[in-house]
Amino acid sequence: MNNTKVKPTSIISKLRFASFYFAAALIVISLVGLFTKGLNLGLDFTGGYITEFSTEQSFEQAEMQQKLSSYLSEDFQLSSADNGTHWSVRQADNNAGQQNSTWLTEFTQSSGLSITPQDAMYIGSQVGDELIEQGGLALLTAAIVILVYLSLRFEWRLAAGSVVALMHDVVVVLGIFAWFEISFDLTILASLLAIIGYSLNDSIIVGDKVREIIMRNKNSNVDTTINLAIKSTLVRTLITSGTTLATVLAIGLFAGESLQGFAIALFSGILVGTYSSIALSATIPQLLGLSPDHYHKQAQEICTLP
Amino acid sequence: MNTRNKSTIKSFSWRNIVILITLIFMIVSALPNLYPEKSNIQLISSGNDIEQTTPEQLNTLLLNNHLASEQIITNATGTVITLKNKSDEQAAKALLSKALDGKYSVSSSTTSDAPAWFKSMKMEPIKLGLDLSGGVLFVLDVDTDRAMFEHLKGLGNDLKTQSIEKRIRGVNFTQTNNNSIELSFPISMQNKVESLLSDITKQSPELSVKNIGNTHKSLFYSPQEQVSFRQATMKQTLKTMRGRIEELGISEAITQQQGKNRIRIELPGVHDPEEAKRIIGATATLDFYQLADGSHTAGVLQMADSSGRKFILNSKVVFSGSSIKNARAGQDEMGMPLVNLTLDSVGGKKMSAFSKENIGKPMVTLFSEFHRDSNNEIVKKSKIINVANISQHLGSQFSITNMSSPQAAQELSLLLRAGSLNAPVTIVMQRNIEATLGADNIDNGVKALSIGIAFTLLFMAVWYRTLGLIANVALALNLVSLLGLMSLLPGAVLTLPGIAGLVLTVGMAVDANVLIFERIKEELRRGRKTLSAIEVGYKSAFATILDANITTMITGIILYTIGYGPVKGFAIILCLGILTSMFTGVFVAKALTNMVIRDNKKQLMGIALEDDTKASRIAQSSTKLNTKNKSKKTTKSKTEQLTDLGANS
Repeated sequence: MNNTKVKPTSIISKLRFASFYFAAALIVISLVGLFTKGLNLGLDFTGGYITEFSTEQSFEQAEMQQKLSSYLSEDFQLSSADNGTHWSVRQADNNAGQQNSTWLTEFTQSSGLSITPQDAMYIGSQVGDELIEQGGLALLTAAIVILVYLSLRFEWRLAAGSVVALMHDVVVVLGIFAWFEISFDLTILASLLAIIGYSLNDSIIVGDKVREIIMRNKNSNVDTTINLAIKSTLVRTLITSGTTLATVLAIGLFAGESLQGFAIALFSGILVGTYSSIALSATIPQLLGLSPDHYHKQAQEICTLP
Repeated sequence: MNTRNKSTIKSFSWRNIVILITLIFMIVSALPNLYPEKSNIQLISSGNDIEQTTPEQLNTLLLNNHLASEQIITNATGTVITLKNKSDEQAAKALLSKALDGKYSVSSSTTSDAPAWFKSMKMEPIKLGLDLSGGVLFVLDVDTDRAMFEHLKGLGNDLKTQSIEKRIRGVNFTQTNNNSIELSFPISMQNKVESLLSDITKQSPELSVKNIGNTHKSLFYSPQEQVSFRQATMKQTLKTMRGRIEELGISEAITQQQGKNRIRIELPGVHDPEEAKRIIGATATLDFYQLADGSHTAGVLQMADSSGRKFILNSKVVFSGSSIKNARAGQDEMGMPLVNLTLDSVGGKKMSAFSKENIGKPMVTLFSEFHRDSNNEIVKKSKIINVANISQHLGSQFSITNMSSPQAAQELSLLLRAGSLNAPVTIVMQRNIEATLGADNIDNGVKALSIGIAFTLLFMAVWYRTLGLIANVALALNLVSLLGLMSLLPGAVLTLPGIAGLVLTVGMAVDANVLIFERIKEELRRGRKTLSAIEVGYKSAFATILDANITTMITGIILYTIGYGPVKGFAIILCLGILTSMFTGVFVAKALTNMVIRDNKKQLMGIALEDDTKASRIAQSSTKLNTKNKSKKTTKSKTEQLTDLGANS
């Protein structure tokens, strides 16, 4: 079984292995970011302060947002009620929130609007601890179920590749949010879920091609087979990623502030998901010693790893 | 060849009919979204001296207050104002009744331009989330002190029963404040009382005992325990509120603790606060009691049911509504209505022990509700809703029979499912909240999505030509079907991230077509004729698409079952999107392709087919080798071909 021994000769193989180590490095960098800086959790997760006030006149939301932005340095969420006369400002629960507690008095004095301050209070998180735990459990369960399903449909090595690629995508996107200190809220969590779907999709299509080629050709070399699979799915990968990226880009550029984080998460997620389907989900089975025999159900000897 | 072709055409026409019916159903379901619900405000003159208000006056009045109206019609009987945004209804009503100062009576109604038969078929547009359409904000006050009082009251009753059982005579229980019970007893009973109290503190270690004198003791919650009791009560109330809101089919609501003992609830799409109030304001609790068998003289409750029959209950609760995990209305073998209950492990143990000893005896379901009386004091009102005989030794699963009607069974099960509250809850603030994303933001979002979709459509048309157009039609149908499905599901709420997720699913739906078309191209390059390339392309790409979608579906379903709020909403869109994109991307696109491309063309998707002789030669061989087994023979040459092509492209 010497022919399964990995000898990256072609350019694709070289690229593939280079990007494999690149992906591994990215995971390490992301984990370092996650553990040292941590996620900048948004109001949904941490809870925070609500300050309510009412104005005599009614205003448009955008107008009020602009007025307030010079008094409140950090992120805040503004919502209006009672026809633009009753306002609530939400600030995340961090130290800066308390230092700035005089902003409303300053705002009342200098804005010249007749503002009546109302309740100011602390509110709990929208997502309780038990829900975060549940969410983690859900992801773990999903990963295991997918692993089992793919092992049955394909082969455990291919399945492992897909799941590692999936984990890689999630970790790297989380890492980006940690390093750049972008606020992580429930919307971002939702986009992470979309990334999971996307990543799986990509990995499975490459894996499917690998299986197809191996099934057709018993004596194929695993390295060339994988390269061939990547080559023949490349057009599809580029088109799908391209059109989806274009849509996400449009959201990021034109949809305004409220969907910025969402667009960043999805954009990076799709980019990362696309290359990890090549760098990880196609390469890991090879490293784990995938051979055509696994699909032809013959007696096999254990392949030597590189 | 001929016969096979015929049979496939025949089977396809059957399939086409099914596809067509499904599509029509989806499109019809999506139709109500074309007619958004609007709010009409009627002004009817209440006095005889009709002071004419002109539409212009009203319009300027509304506009000055940032309320956009769509239409104002004045006639002899009065004025009808149709508002642009439904969420403005309350504000507009308040404004108008103030401005018109009682000269007109102001009332409102919800209408839509949709044909009447939509309504009769209960077809409604998609509900919009808090960010898109606003909703109602409630702030609830949770009376944790009262909850502690009630808890201690139950404990006091329990103590009474136990002291009778243990023959401790002359004990007096008084509940002096919310967090303590005082006991006074004759000195001769001191030892017995002490052992009773040590039993109690063993059972519930949160309680402490204080000696006031030789014949006086106090059982109380230490300040620390009071705090943890409050926290536990708040946690439980929050959980119950979330459960209730979910039970009523409102997803994407926001439920948060506010301050020490308040709960802030924001409900999307609810513009009728009264309705919502009824939903979340119900402070019902359910407790299950045993009928007193007469041997005990103390520790009993007297209750009457709705028909006035009096019951004497053993004051010790068998188990309370908080132990109920699930409740479903059903029927027994005789067709009589009943409610099937599932208890959690604690309740199950209690029930098992209790029912074993009390077979044949009745069990009483007591329904209690807190409400504020005219002095704004919280009053607890209880009534017996059900008395049923225990027919056998029961475990964690049993049913309440003897229900008066299926409706009664339905209502009881809903109430039980929604969870009971231990603490009285009152609504202290209620407010209509506006969309958190301004109209500008929503417009921008829609604009961005349109650009994204337009780019995708354009690209597909240019890259794949005829087939690309088919894919675009399939894509449009996919969007419409998804909207239709979401309108059908009562729990689906659309938010801006949801719309983005929707577009993403559409973006990924293109993937199915790209996979198929690339496959067809591959087959064409191998020399198949157009028709057989299409057939093989669809068939073999389908397996890949199925695998990819099933795994994503697994993720979606797991997220739906465990997730909460926005995560759940996203999971719904993800799953529905997979279903519709499989349907339109594969089946509809296939049917369309078969309709459009009927003969073997000379050129498809920019690939000029090879000259007839070569093409037919390979096509012949490959049609023979249609099955997988046979195709192995030519794999080598095919693989080589593939490599070459890959290098070229």
